[in-house]
Amino acid sequence: MSIEICNVSKTYSEFKAVENINLKVATGELVSLLGPSGCGKTTLLRIIAGIERADHGSGPILFDGHDVSAEKISSRRIGFVFQSYALFKNMTAFENVAFGLRAKPWRKRPKEQEIRSKVTELLQLVQLRNFAQHYPSELSGGQRQRVALARALAVEPSVLLLDEPFGALDATVRRELRRWLRDLHGKIKVTTILVTHDQEEALEVSDRVAVMNQGKIEQFASPEEIYEHPANAFVFKFLGNYNLFHARTASINDATEASRRDPTGATYVRPHEIEITRENFDGLAIAAKIKHICFAGSLVNVELTRIDDESEIDAALTTQNYRALGLQRDQKVFFRLNNSKSFEEDYSI
Amino acid sequence: MTAEPSKNHTARSIGKPAPPSHPLVHRVSIAVTVIFLTVFIIVPVVNVFSQALAKGFHAYATTFVAQPRSMSPGLTRDERRQLSSERRQVEKTWHAIKLTATVAVVVVGLNIIFGLAASWSVTKFPLKGRSLLLALIDLPFSVSPVIAGLMFVLLFGRSGIFGHWASNLTWPDPFSLQWLGLANGWPGFQFTQYYSGIIFTPLAILAASIFVTFPFVARSLIPLMEAQGSDEEIAALSLGASGWRIFWTVTIPNVRWALLYGVILCTARVFGEFGAVSVVSGHTDGNDTMALRIEKLWNEYNTQAAFSVASLLSLLALITLIIQTVIEWRLLKASNVAIKKDAP
Repeated sequence: MSIEICNVSKTYSEFKAVENINLKVATGELVSLLGPSGCGKTTLLRIIAGIERADHGSGPILFDGHDVSAEKISSRRIGFVFQSYALFKNMTAFENVAFGLRAKPWRKRPKEQEIRSKVTELLQLVQLRNFAQHYPSELSGGQRQRVALARALAVEPSVLLLDEPFGALDATVRRELRRWLRDLHGKIKVTTILVTHDQEEALEVSDRVAVMNQGKIEQFASPEEIYEHPANAFVFKFLGNYNLFHARTASINDATEASRRDPTGATYVRPHEIEITRENFDGLAIAAKIKHICFAGSLVNVELTRIDDESEIDAALTTQNYRALGLQRDQKVFFRLNNSKSFEEDYSI
Repeated sequence: MTAEPSKNHTARSIGKPAPPSHPLVHRVSIAVTVIFLTVFIIVPVVNVFSQALAKGFHAYATTFVAQPRSMSPGLTRDERRQLSSERRQVEKTWHAIKLTATVAVVVVGLNIIFGLAASWSVTKFPLKGRSLLLALIDLPFSVSPVIAGLMFVLLFGRSGIFGHWASNLTWPDPFSLQWLGLANGWPGFQFTQYYSGIIFTPLAILAASIFVTFPFVARSLIPLMEAQGSDEEIAALSLGASGWRIFWTVTIPNVRWALLYGVILCTARVFGEFGAVSVVSGHTDGNDTMALRIEKLWNEYNTQAAFSVASLLSLLALITLIIQTVIEWRLLKASNVAIKKDAP
């Protein structure tokens, strides 16, 4: 089922949580709403679900071209998954998954035999078949969230809405579940909207990502497009670490397109786009001193202090590269920028 | 001093490391607590039971059960008089026990309905005037029970605001319902006893009891419902469940221990309430609750009987205490789960 949101706003007393949002999600797509906390992503998701109502004067919310904005949550045929799992504590995993089937009006309710086979099938799908008789308190966080997903899928929703589903889990489990969700979505192909503040998660799982800030969508594109061609400084900054160079304060090497395009503007460079050398071969590199070196798994983070204006720069090297250079603390080195980004409109400094 | 895991490390102390303090301070504060509890709780309760049993178990039993002796013609006039007076006393005591139990059942039932409605509307919806409602729920805690009783007298008494209407009201005693048989071709029922008015009838006892107890269930439900939020209800709603089904299968099971806790507190209060019911009872024997009956026996210099009835109330209090402790322990587990769930 496709989803189309037209000109939706939501205001809490004075605060505009969501402002004139337009969004189109194609059938079977997995879309992430990515943004810092308070950017309105959860509010938007809750409006799509029907938990919150959009402001008066907002446009329609179309499910397959049919306006559902006046419909109640129970008739929108959505599956909603919470960060807090929201499992029914007094029921086993089996009964949790069966809840939606048992809650149907008796004319539409499947027979007990059918409920049994359907629930077992779903528990199989989320790899929890052996945990059917466990209560939520006896399950780990990751297992609970998978039960919650199976429960949402049991009523065959046409849209799956996930609100920070892996937010309460530790890093390893998150990564595992992310992959698993990707595979699951490949299997069942239900239109899914995922809310997250984790860039890595959004980029890894989604077909398309909508980056949100202060109630607005800054960019809506594929993960690759978003990372390679961020629409503005906010998107760039939100997607990872960066170094900021002011064209005015220093003459960076000529490779910096920004200084030519906008002499007053700022230039952003990712740490791994900074190249460190021992010698200044062409006279265009900038001199710096190594302040600190720290290992972060596959990468080595090197903190540099510029010699001319004493500003600090973060560089990330591969371990291999780091070994080849034989860097030491307090050593004088040179760096150059391999790739940089600058944005015409940049209000924040 | 570091917080060491002690042997009696209860669920209560989880997450609260002991603050550093001088061992003497610790000992003195324990001693003060123990002395206080002994003087004001343990000694009076023991006294109640010892006074009740002062004339032996036989005398204790005759407070509740009349002597099985029959009015045989061999008895003297004085003996007959004493025996029938004893019987009347036992009847009055039982009447008080029955009235108290009946009031308790009705009050607890109404309290559950009110408590669930109030806590549901305060915690599960954004409600205008929420803090006003919370303050109103707390009102009976801050009003003296005697004032509460007086308030009902001023409302429904002969010269009260609704006095005219109230004193013309006639209502049947539900326990006087009698089966008339199928005499006229259909089942016949009839009340044999009617009350008129509200004040100085059991209805006033009921109203006063409701007033002094209505915060209990609501107050024990609100914090837990607030901690649990409404995610589970929303999840159930998105799965297509009806409001009725959500209430019975999701909301109630989640708060059942808090509900029971409120019910226990409410019951204890109904049994023990004196001030409010004393004002509205009119001191007639028919309106005596157990607490009022104790006062009457005491005023009639029937000390042993007064303490016997008091011992029954104390026993109820002790049972309440045990149930309450068990429930508190369960509640702590439930709210710990809720807190853990909230943590990122």
